[in-house]
Formats: sequence, structure tokens, C-alpha cells
Amino acid sequence: MSSMIPTLMTLAADAVPAAPAAVSVVDLVKAQLPTLITIGAALGAVLGAVSYLIYVERKLAAFMQDRIGPNRVGPWGLLQPIADGAKFILKEDVIPAYVDRALFLLAPCIAALTTMLAFAVVPFGPVDNAPSFHRFVIVPNVDIGIVFIFAIGSLAVYGIILGGWASNNKYSALGSLRASAQVISYEIPLGMSVLGIALLGGTLNLEKILMNQAIGGIGSWYFWTQPLACLIFFVAALAESNRLPFDLVECEQELVGGFHTEYSSMKFALFFLAEYTHVITISFLTVILFFGGWHFPGIAEPGTAGFGPMLLKLGVLMSKVFAVIIVIMLLRWTIPRFRFDQLMGLAWKVLIPLSMANVVAVMTVLQFGWSTWWLTLTSVGLFMAAGFIGVQQAQVALNQGTRRAKSKDHGPVAHAH
Amino acid sequence: MPGKRAIRPLGGLAALGALALGFQLVAGEQNINGAIYVVVSTFCLIAAVLMITNRNPVYAALWFAVVTLCVCGLFLLQSAPFLAAASIIVYAGAIIVTFLFVIMLAQQSGSSGYDQSSRQPLFASIVAFTLLGTMLMTFQSWGEQHAHTQVSEAALPKTIGTATVVHAASRPTEKEQVGELRGLGRALFSDFLFSVEIAGTLLLIASIGAIALAPRRAQGTL
Repeated sequence: MSSMIPTLMTLAADAVPAAPAAVSVVDLVKAQLPTLITIGAALGAVLGAVSYLIYVERKLAAFMQDRIGPNRVGPWGLLQPIADGAKFILKEDVIPAYVDRALFLLAPCIAALTTMLAFAVVPFGPVDNAPSFHRFVIVPNVDIGIVFIFAIGSLAVYGIILGGWASNNKYSALGSLRASAQVISYEIPLGMSVLGIALLGGTLNLEKILMNQAIGGIGSWYFWTQPLACLIFFVAALAESNRLPFDLVECEQELVGGFHTEYSSMKFALFFLAEYTHVITISFLTVILFFGGWHFPGIAEPGTAGFGPMLLKLGVLMSKVFAVIIVIMLLRWTIPRFRFDQLMGLAWKVLIPLSMANVVAVMTVLQFGWSTWWLTLTSVGLFMAAGFIGVQQAQVALNQGTRRAKSKDHGPVAHAH
Repeated sequence: MPGKRAIRPLGGLAALGALALGFQLVAGEQNINGAIYVVVSTFCLIAAVLMITNRNPVYAALWFAVVTLCVCGLFLLQSAPFLAAASIIVYAGAIIVTFLFVIMLAQQSGSSGYDQSSRQPLFASIVAFTLLGTMLMTFQSWGEQHAHTQVSEAALPKTIGTATVVHAASRPTEKEQVGELRGLGRALFSDFLFSVEIAGTLLLIASIGAIALAPRRAQGTL
């Protein structure tokens, strides 16, 4: 909400150039029409995309596990999301006894609100040749773009914590305990991985970062010079969204349903909606920060105007985002869940030192004016060094473990089982 | 109770109407900036009062978060968006979450009896009033000095206390808009370099202390 204030102010100033004394509510609403249309388009697209992404995920999961997946409702089960939505609304809305009612109801609202609000500064189309009534970004030209997303993202943990605590359930409380540690830890590598791009491009504004890459051509996509940052960003963002390799917050085998154990019908659906919106947002961010946004050589170049190029750019951006979402879904059925100490170790012992080294490398290259391609080499080197150290440590731990097991087996100590 | 349910949307509509009327009134005589200021600061004060008076520590911590968010809204009005975002990340996103956690783990069955009465009411009152008086006096003298400065220039203060911003490098250039990140970075690392370094050193010492104090176990730390 607060992010709208500068826009509101500038638009109000534009609407009334001569007499700033009288700003009526009607003028205000008229000045806000493009914003309202953009909000409507974004909201509708996100909600529709979420319901069909669930369908895609179920089909993909079925494919990977050699099943058929949803196929009863409509042709190929295509009407399944609509049936699911109707079920969510029509089911009985249970509020268990002895819960903290206000916070129990507030938690899913906070979860959905924060993820939706973070989408406000994400340009979801070609901003430079957008029609006048539809801007493709809800709040344009926010100088602190990425920082705003991180700030709102850091509030998302309230939804999980309050939901877990207000449920008055031990599993929920454990789930939210894990969530807070996880989200707070992974915020640090998430923010630091983007610092390199901010230094290279000299801006935090998402639209400017996108344009930098589009103008420079495919060689200036930040993925080539910052591959390690891309990996760190993707892993940390995945951890922030609490999806499968990192879903200790709600893992079924240990915590029933985690923080949302006690939630049913539409309140549960709001948590679900928040998770998928988060996935969409991080996919957009990955594409915009590292893969050139709507830019693709030969198909979508900057400087073209008109309706056709606009559609092409939109198509390129959406295909890239969809590809990232598919990768996230494939990861879900590929990598097993981490143990909690592995999760914390990954954040504090691997991702944070690596991202710090990456920032130092970027600053060194910029300070001495070297070619940015040295950064590619540095990234690969850092990655290999981290892999070497990791394997070495694992070997040491393995040796210690076998030694300890051997000494236990042959030792004089009697085991009391 | 159907009657009670019907009242709720009516109350919401009335609140919306009051908000619109307030906007109209304040916007009529001043500008939209002032209207937003009034709404945000009123909400901030209400949340602050609720934070102090609430008996349930979890709710108090949540109202504290609301106060922080409102103050960030005021920062935005002063064209300091980075300060607002940073405060949200650090305070609302990390510190209050930690508060909440300690409270939730420590007091699962509501607050204890000894939390509800003050142990040193007289001493506490004296200290609080001294603090309030000092703050008011500082604000008053500061306000006299800056009576005619524009609000939107606060993003890059020409003076801090009595020291003026000396270096030309830390003033915004012609092209730069007030409140841009570039100007803030330049000011931080030229005029306020010592303050930044001292704050950084303090944080480093604190984190070393925290690591030294944390309990260690024979196997792992978790």
C-alpha cells in the first residue's frame, strides 16, 4: 500500500497542473485509472495462472511418477482447477475451538497480501512500448525495486508464524518455528546475490536492469557474468517460498501439515495461493535479473514499437517465466527434502560466504576496470572451490563416523538398548 | 447472531466513507500529501497506544510491527524509500519476528501475573517524562532552525544537528532526483563515513560477543 504513495502523489500532481488547491475524489480516481486497470490485469492473470499451475504441477508429478493424473473433469481433466476452486468455496469453513480467533483469521490474509504486494513492482511485460491505459507494471519506476520486494517478502513470515501459533497445535507451532529460522536465514544470501547485479548495472530498478540487458544484447544478460549469483538467488528464493527441497515448514511425514494443519476450505486456499504467487514472482525475478526479461536476439529487440512487437515481447517473457516454473516443479520431484541442520548449514556455511565472495569479486573488477568476463571465471572458480571443500568435509566426517562406529563396536562399553 | 453480522459491513462502509471525507477535507485545503500524512500518523498513534496497553504480549509485539510499518510510511512521504524498505527488512522482518518467537516460546499460556503491575512506577514515570521533555525540546529547537525547508528535501539533509554537509560531492547533482539511492550512498560514504564505520564496528563487536556467549555442545550446535 505504501509503495503506491509516490505514484499517487505524482499522478495527482499531473492531474491538477494549475490549481493544486482543489483535488476532488473524482479527479483522483480518474488519474488512477491506468493503475486500476493494470492491477486488475495483474490480479486476474496471477489468479488464473495459479489455478492452472496447480493442474500443470499435478500432471507433471503424475508424468514423473508414471501415473495419469487428473483426467476426470472435462477433457484431459482441464476443468479440474475450476472444480477445486468451487470445492474450496463450498466446503464448511471450520474454525477449531481454543484457537486465537483474530490471529487465526489474520494469518492467511497476511500470507496472500504480502505475496501479492511484492508483485507490484515486477514488470510483467514490455514496459517501454506498453499501451497508455495498461502499463505492464503496477508501480512504475521504483528506484529501490528489488529492495522493496525483499522488504515485503520479509513480512511474509508473519503469515506463517501467526498461523502456526494461533492454531494452538504443537505441529503447527513446530512448523512455524522452523519457518522463521529458515526464512530469516535465507533472506541474507537472497539479498547479497543481487548486490553484484546492482553494482554492475548501477541501479536497483527492475525496469532499468531489464533495459540494460536488452540494450546490451544477449552477451550482456547477467547470467553469463553472474552465474554463481544466479544459482544462489534461485536456491535462496526457492527456500523462501517453502517448496519441496525446502518444505520443512510443512513436511507431511513429520508435522502432518505444518503451520496450516488446522486450516480448511478457503483459508487453506489462501495459503496455497500465497505459495504459488511467490513461485510466480521468483520466476519473474529470475528471468528479469539474469535472463534478459523480454529480450531475445532476433525476435524481441529494444526500440521496436507497436502492437505486434509488444505481443512478441510478452510471449518471450511468458515463455521464459514458464520455463523457470517448470524447472521449479521438476526440482520438486527430483531432490529429496533437506534435514534441518543441512538446511541451516547450506545457508550459513555455503550460500552466504559464496555470495560475499561474489560481491568482493564484482567490486574488484569494477574498481580496476577489468573486463566483466573475469567474473564468469571467478564464479566458476568459486563454485569449484566450494564443491572441493564440501567433498573434503564430507570425507572427513565419513572417516570420523566409521572410526567412531568401529571403536563403539569393539569397545569394552556394554550397550544398554 | 444475524444482527451483529449485518452491522459489520455497515461499519466498514462507514469507515470507508469517513476516510473519503477526510481525504476530501484535507485535500481540499492542502494537498494529497497532507491527507496521507494525517491518515498514516493517526494510525501510527493508535497502534502505539494499543501496543502499550495490550495485556497479551503477542498482540503488543504485533502492534509494534504495525507502528514500524506506519513509521516506514512516513519515511516514504519524506521521499526516503530506501530508509523505509531497510527499516521494514530489519525491524518488522527480522527483529520483531524474533521478539514474537521468544514470546511465543516463553509464554504459551498468556502473560504471567507479575508482568501486569509495575515494580517501580515512580522511577519509571520520572524517567519517561524526562525522556519525553528532552525529545520535545530537541524537536522544537530543530523545528525553529528548519521552519522554512521543504519536506521533500529531507532525503538528503543539508545539516545534521549543527554540522553542515560540507562536501559538494554529497549534494545531489542537477539531474538527480531527491530520494534516489545514488545520493544516499554518496552521502553515507563521504560525509557520514565515520558514523557508518563506527556503527559497523559496533555491530561486528556485538556479533562476536553473541557467538562467544552462545552455548556450545559437543556434537553440533543445533
